[in-house]
Amino acid sequence: MENMTLNLRIWRQASDSDSGELVDYTVRNVSPDMSFLEVLDVVNDDIVKSGNEPVAYDYDCREGICGSCSLVINGVAHGPREATTACQLFMRHFSDGDTITVEPWRAKAFPVVKDLVVDRSAFDRIQAAGGYVSFDTGGACDANEILVPKEAADAAMDAAACIGCGACVAACKNASAELFVGAKVTQFALLPQGQGERDRRVLAMVEQMQEEGFGPCSNEGECQAVCPKEISVAHIQTLHREYTRASMRRIFGAG
Amino acid sequence: MSAVATFLTSTIGRKVLMALTGILLILFLVTHLAANLLILVDAEAYNAYSHALISNPLIYIAEAGLIALFVAHFASGILIYAQGRAARPSSYKDDRWAGGTSKKSFSSSTMILSGAFFLLFVPLHVWGFKFGTYYDAGNGIRDLHRLVVEEFQNPLLVAFYVVGMAILGLHMWHAFGSAFESLGVTQRDTLRRTGNVIAVVLAGGFMIIPLAIFFLGGGQ
Ligand code: HEM
Ligand code: FES
Repeated sequence: MENMTLNLRIWRQASDSDSGELVDYTVRNVSPDMSFLEVLDVVNDDIVKSGNEPVAYDYDCREGICGSCSLVINGVAHGPREATTACQLFMRHFSDGDTITVEPWRAKAFPVVKDLVVDRSAFDRIQAAGGYVSFDTGGACDANEILVPKEAADAAMDAAACIGCGACVAACKNASAELFVGAKVTQFALLPQGQGERDRRVLAMVEQMQEEGFGPCSNEGECQAVCPKEISVAHIQTLHREYTRASMRRIFGAG
Repeated sequence: MSAVATFLTSTIGRKVLMALTGILLILFLVTHLAANLLILVDAEAYNAYSHALISNPLIYIAEAGLIALFVAHFASGILIYAQGRAARPSSYKDDRWAGGTSKKSFSSSTMILSGAFFLLFVPLHVWGFKFGTYYDAGNGIRDLHRLVVEEFQNPLLVAFYVVGMAILGLHMWHAFGSAFESLGVTQRDTLRRTGNVIAVVLAGGFMIIPLAIFFLGGGQ
């Protein structure tokens, strides 16, 4: 594959209070083996050389495991490849002459810090509201001391694959965080260690989710389609069961 | 806030309420369709059926229940829509559907519009038939069949019903599966396929009535 010339339309916004706009940049000599973030680095080199402010964007691991990168590429969170973070999206999936739009996650709960960087601390606050096991589990016991059915262990593992990138929120027309919260709730609800705080956890996490301003779930499933870890909407359905169950137990005085 | 109010005003509780009211409304529509198909089969049986319904004093409770379901459903629908909009104050300049496993569709994207149509349709429909001309079929039985057949001689009214039922089908295409997902059922593909069949059967079934009367004269 030949090197490409690409036309990038990148969202520039000085701060959350600024209105922001798409700015065009042409990048030449893009190798098909470059990642999308490397292309942004090249764009930034050019911008810096011309004495201007580089494009701010989030990244850390660049290997698809930390959940930092957060780009809406051509209208789809993390771009056109399924089960792929923006940092693992390689330019061989684009063609010479393409115009590519790059925007930040857009949600009331994720205010823009600058350009393509958004503040995702709302997710941390949801986690802090209950996404953990608080009691002392004692020293390491024998691996088979607490029996966990294989299906439950596998499903909990699937839920725990969530890297908290926020693509689910970015993709949802309601900016709903239910896929994220569903994964975090399910991960514990399925395991024996999660039982003690099962009701309290889901009630507190959902309350925090609402307080942050995330929207409701309309069951379209754009979230699952863009999730780099392929977290299933089944976790949203589990969240609905868990929240309803905990609410009923509270209403009827059992919780 | 009481535990009940907390649940019902939560984003999840509201969707559970929407789903339950929506499913009960669909059940009503299924019985309504089954009964109305009698119009095309046997005028006397249809009149007898509607007489049995309205002469039973329990009908008032049933009607109040239907109104309550309808109001609870559309009120939460409007709130959910508003909450969703508020959560995404600035829209994408380039906004595309993700494809793949997503079930986003024209239907799912227009739920608020197809729903809002029924705020217009239902009052007109009730006004036109329930509170329409009273014909006597003898023995104190109302000749509702005659009213229906007369009304559906008007091509504009036939068109309004056909379009209206297409919009019902559009709402149902997403609604049925979505409702069970809101209640926590995980068999997504099966639910969606069932929902699509129900949408076509309900919309198509209701459409047949005005079309058959207009074009074929309707089972006199
Ligand atoms: C013929 C009467 C109606 C029936 C049988 C019906 C049925 C349903 C069902 C089963 C759902 C799925 C619920 C869920 O996702 O959990 C739904 C969703 C919805 N309905 Fe209706 N509906 C009716 C009338 C209305 C009306 C009058 C409105 C008023 C605006 C409305 C607005 C909505 C909206 C906005 C949604 C989607 C909610 C979301 O985004 O998640 N519907 N409907
Ligand atoms: S930078 Fe870590 S997942 Fe993309």
